[in-house]
Amino acid sequence: MGEKEKTKSFSGSGKPEKELTLAELPVGTTATILKVMPGTRGRKKFADVGLVAGTELLIEAHAPFGGLIRVKVMETSMALHKDDAANIVMTQEEEN
Amino acid sequence: MSRTFRIALAGNPNCGKTSVFNALTGARQHVGNYPGVTVESKSGRFSLGDMEIEVIDLPGVYSLSSSSPEEEVVFQELTKPGIDLILNVVDSTIPRRSLYLTTQLAELHIPMLLAFNMTDDAKKKGLKFNIPKLEKYFGSPIVQTVGCRSNGIKPLTDQLAKTLNELDDHGVPMLSYGGDIDDAVNAVSEKIDALGCEKYAHVPSRFFAVKLLEHDTCVMRINEFASVHGEVENQISHLWDKHAINADTFMADRRYAMLAGACRDTISMTQEKRREISDKIDMIVTNKILGLPLFLIIIYLTFWFTFVCAELPMGWIESFFGWLADFIKSIWAPDKWPFMRSLITDGIISGVGGVIVFLPNILFLFFAIAILEDSGYMSRAAFVMDGIMRKFGLQGRSFVPLVLGFGCTVPAIMATRTIESERDRAVTIMVLPLMSCGARLPIYALIIPAFFPVKYHATVMWLIYVIGVAAALTAARILKGTLFKGDGEVYLMELPPYRLPTAKSLMLHMWDRGRMYLHKAGTIILATSVILFICNTFPVKKDFSQDYDAQITRLEKSRMDEAEKREKTAALKNARQAELMEYTISGRIGRGLEPVFRPIGFDWKITTASIAALSAKEIFVSQLGILYAEGETDEESVPLRRQLMKNYTPLQGFCIMLFCLLSVPCLATLAITRRELNSWLMMACEGAGLFLLAYVTTFIVYQLGTFFRIGTVFIG
Repeated sequence: MGEKEKTKSFSGSGKPEKELTLAELPVGTTATILKVMPGTRGRKKFADVGLVAGTELLIEAHAPFGGLIRVKVMETSMALHKDDAANIVMTQEEEN
Repeated sequence: MSRTFRIALAGNPNCGKTSVFNALTGARQHVGNYPGVTVESKSGRFSLGDMEIEVIDLPGVYSLSSSSPEEEVVFQELTKPGIDLILNVVDSTIPRRSLYLTTQLAELHIPMLLAFNMTDDAKKKGLKFNIPKLEKYFGSPIVQTVGCRSNGIKPLTDQLAKTLNELDDHGVPMLSYGGDIDDAVNAVSEKIDALGCEKYAHVPSRFFAVKLLEHDTCVMRINEFASVHGEVENQISHLWDKHAINADTFMADRRYAMLAGACRDTISMTQEKRREISDKIDMIVTNKILGLPLFLIIIYLTFWFTFVCAELPMGWIESFFGWLADFIKSIWAPDKWPFMRSLITDGIISGVGGVIVFLPNILFLFFAIAILEDSGYMSRAAFVMDGIMRKFGLQGRSFVPLVLGFGCTVPAIMATRTIESERDRAVTIMVLPLMSCGARLPIYALIIPAFFPVKYHATVMWLIYVIGVAAALTAARILKGTLFKGDGEVYLMELPPYRLPTAKSLMLHMWDRGRMYLHKAGTIILATSVILFICNTFPVKKDFSQDYDAQITRLEKSRMDEAEKREKTAALKNARQAELMEYTISGRIGRGLEPVFRPIGFDWKITTASIAALSAKEIFVSQLGILYAEGETDEESVPLRRQLMKNYTPLQGFCIMLFCLLSVPCLATLAITRRELNSWLMMACEGAGLFLLAYVTTFIVYQLGTFFRIGTVFIG
């Protein structure tokens, strides 16, 4: 599935694509990981739970006092820190 | 003849591995710690037909990347020789993520059996598996289980027996990463093979080659492979130059791609994806507005359950030990071995009994924690609290232990095991003694009414607790900014779907902690009770300043009013006891240290009581009672309060409480700190640091108070 999504997001079906980091996306959006910035700490740890380029994520919630972001990745909810999420570049196809 | 096998139980966190382990081994388990880390090691035994099987329950991990202490432990265990089979528990509701670990386990080329757990939930989700095809892909038999319930274990044990009988012809394949990477892997493997390393002969060189290319810390550290590192770097730069493949994560990328392919062929979704119940609960529980109040209510309920519900069994235990001491006294004549008699009854039984009384607290508390943990709520609580706690250099998971610290520091420190980050955990443990524990309550309850008018009671008590909390949070900030400085580990926490905890797992969890606590009571508390008893008894004074016995006899013969006679006799006995006390080791230590403690307002009696309070904080009250010779003392005793009012000022009273709050915690806390942090040095620093904090703070308060004449006379 990873491969398939990757080709989809790179294919550029004519629609304009928006690039934002995971930390900037609002709750409720679905987006695909474009890349995890090289040199990000814990990059391997993220990769192990499926946070690799091409994976689709759903931003589920932001913690009450900031700091944590909850995302659904590979059918599981994971919480990660905003600072780390800022290193994950996402791509999202515009609605219209 | 029975055959023995060793199997390793591996799987992701929250995959239901522990319930499989419990169902297999029942109570025949051994819980311990891996040396040097705070990862729990669990093993158990069971027999299957004529086979005796040892199961090692490995910590739950997502990968074999040695990027956490758990992963390192799993790596070490699995690369040790002697494992006959890996039983890989797979959460079948999330096959893609769960099988990721499987792809790495397969590279070890140890026979595997895959347990597809929670297949009932997977079915509800609309997942359908093509089992024969999946078996072929991983070259391992697959058995479908329903987890939790023990009736689901039968197919597993049947399949296990079958697999163990056919170990020789397992067909675990070597997974392919694609041509480009496979070439690099083969090149490195060849170099490893050429080394002819005996120690790791049982592990395929391909496994190490992949790990070396990933720059896996554990494998990079193996000295035997140091000479291969050159080749590894060559291959990594070759991959980057020729194929633009980035070294550190390409393996993860490829594994997920492989799995995507495998899953497409073998797993089908029949139903439309729907919002699960778990997500609905989370809409409320982790809600931005409702999350915090809900959390506070749940914590309050935990607290209530631990301290209110446990009162009844605590009463039973207390009366049992009281009865036991009386019973021994009644059958043991006072003149026969009098020292041993009172050592056993007044020293050991009251000392150890005084600690075992808290066993219900511990059991109830860990029962409640097990519910929160097993249901999946604990990680939500951490999610909700993280923002606030981070401002103080702590994290979400620190909150629950800190609150528990108001009860008893020992279980609270045990509860810090849920904190994954070692550094955050260490800071939490270090500041925990500052959360005023329940055992300090008797001290406040004795002192506050003695020195403060009724209308200020609650305020003073509140103030003491607030000082403790403020000190704990400030200390956490300071520790995080100095000794435990650093970026901290990467925070990545799973919020597993809510599940109903099973009774069996709750009971086992509770029993584990209870057993640890009893062990402590049987060792350290027993020893200190004996030492304290000896210090309070020897040397025995023979020559008194006046002949008390003669005076008492004279009194008894006199024609005084009965009530007056009793009162005077008691006064004489008390005075005699006080002289005895001053002559003992405790008394001498107190006298000797008095100069040190005078600047903070303590006399030798308070000093002695503070030292005795090291064994358990409540002892402060009883020791002070003995010193003021009021006989048996509890916090309600009025004559002792009168003595205190006569001898000390409110300022001194406040200083006593402040010192008790901030100073070195009880020995049990120190012992558990040493065990949980696995360091004598940390324990010593903790003790010394808290003593200094208490001494300096109390010194400042006492000296300023004396200078400005605050609290030097009675208020109200």
